[in-house]
Amino acid sequence: MTLTATSFDWVRQLVHKESAIVLQPGKEYLVEARLLPMAQQRGLTGVSELVESVRNRPDAATTRRIVEALTTNETSWFRDGDPFTALTGTVLPSLVAGRRPEERLNIWSAACSSGQEPYTIAMLVSDALPDAARRVSITATDLSREMVERTRAGRFSQLEVNRGLPASMLVRHFTRAGNEWEISPTLRRMVTTTECNLAAPLPRMGPFDVVYLRNVLIYFDMATKQGILRRVRQLMRPDGWLFLGAAETTLGVDDNWERVVLGRGSAYRPRKGN
Amino acid sequence: MSDLLSSPAQQPITEMLDAATVQSIADDVWTSLVGDGEVLVPLPVPAPEVTVSAWVQITGRWCGAVVVTCDEATAVALTECLLRARPPAVIEQEDVDDALGELANVLGGNVKSLLPELSSLGLPQTGPIPPASRPEDLCRVDAQWRGQSLTITVQGATPAPHTERNEVPQ
Amino acid sequence: MRALVIDDSRAMRRIVGSILEDFGYEVRPAGDGREALDVLEEGYLPDLACVDWNMPVMDGLQFVSAVRSNPAYRSVALMMVTTESETSQIVRALAAGAHEYMIKPFTADAMRDKLALLGLLPQEVSL
Repeated sequence: MTLTATSFDWVRQLVHKESAIVLQPGKEYLVEARLLPMAQQRGLTGVSELVESVRNRPDAATTRRIVEALTTNETSWFRDGDPFTALTGTVLPSLVAGRRPEERLNIWSAACSSGQEPYTIAMLVSDALPDAARRVSITATDLSREMVERTRAGRFSQLEVNRGLPASMLVRHFTRAGNEWEISPTLRRMVTTTECNLAAPLPRMGPFDVVYLRNVLIYFDMATKQGILRRVRQLMRPDGWLFLGAAETTLGVDDNWERVVLGRGSAYRPRKGN
Repeated sequence: MSDLLSSPAQQPITEMLDAATVQSIADDVWTSLVGDGEVLVPLPVPAPEVTVSAWVQITGRWCGAVVVTCDEATAVALTECLLRARPPAVIEQEDVDDALGELANVLGGNVKSLLPELSSLGLPQTGPIPPASRPEDLCRVDAQWRGQSLTITVQGATPAPHTERNEVPQ
Repeated sequence: MRALVIDDSRAMRRIVGSILEDFGYEVRPAGDGREALDVLEEGYLPDLACVDWNMPVMDGLQFVSAVRSNPAYRSVALMMVTTESETSQIVRALAAGAHEYMIKPFTADAMRDKLALLGLLPQEVSL
């Protein structure tokens, strides 16, 4: 056990602040087990060294990974269903009606993690549009090279496909590959992957009709949030749609967005005249 | 029953899966069923003299069994982990047999999915002596959990009849 | 919310049952498909039945078919919870009338996701 009491306490407070989840004393083994791979990946000897390095040099990306590692085992498919219901219920029909048939629809999954979000989008649009493979292009980006590679591979463990993927979609869009499940080649071809740091100048991409930027802003300070929202807006079509995480908003951060209520959730659209 | 078991020409299990695959199935079973943060460490320790086993039989183009073996105290500890949310006042032998059997069942079902289609899974059995195995049709993971030996084997069925000499542990 | 948990393993009945209880369900256990049908026939109508596949007496697939052939049980959501994990088996279960399918092993989080898909996650629970 290399985890010091101070490190454990710091992690507890962080996780509580960001997720409202309480790590009881005695859960040191859990922190150790979940964070050790991340420490080793960074060439550190233990979890306490990882915590020390983040405390000395605050780093939103690493902080986010720490919280994620402790709060979820696997990313869910259709995570917080509302932004996906809105995609097929409102956003896609309005985009299809407003664009010429030969115009491509560009969707950006801006923090794609291990790929559940971009492939959820791919499944939905391929069920909703007969010519989805030709018509829709999905760009999946993440800060982490490992996550980008996982998304590109499109392979998921048994535990991952159990997380909120409807069984009917599993059998339609995946095939077994050893003890993993592999997304169908048609859907994988719709998704282009690349590394991207949202807190820095963005690569040439887009313009996007829809952007999923969920559970990213919460980890950054106000100035960085504003910078991210500004750069994302520059890559969006004027009539595009932005989806944020359930606990996130542009209100009070960046006035250049208009909030639109869609079903039980909401989306944000670039405000006209900016 | 014995007619269903292997013909001598059965394709050996090692051509269909390897120990790393069995280990990765076990990893998932351990984190989700045994407990968050619980790991089956793939390093062998000396096997205990007296063990208990649970197994499920697989019948299909490949016939055999998936067997979990450990000592009695480890089996009880595993049972306590499985039942952690609603532990019974006293853990009875029946609980231990059942829990170890369910572990074998879950491992077995996931192993079966890697074999040729249309194989079927039997109901779990437990006992001091597992079915006999043959070294040429055997995939074995020697591991430890909480420092105690735990072995998982995926083993082809031996040609019947089942004889007394098979019951001497190797 | 009421759930019927059908599994021949008592450990698995306790595991599935305790997860559902944590989500606010009242849980009735049954050791095989026949026993579960008896529970339904005596008038206990659950919102959800979690059904193992391989069981003695009556297996989960037979149970699902029996429930779906009786219009009186139309309101019961059926979820297979089984270690059977080939695509062909999942297709068989869905064709027989299962609404969802959970592969063992699974976590409490995965159960919550499945309940949400079925619209059977009580609103007040959000972990």
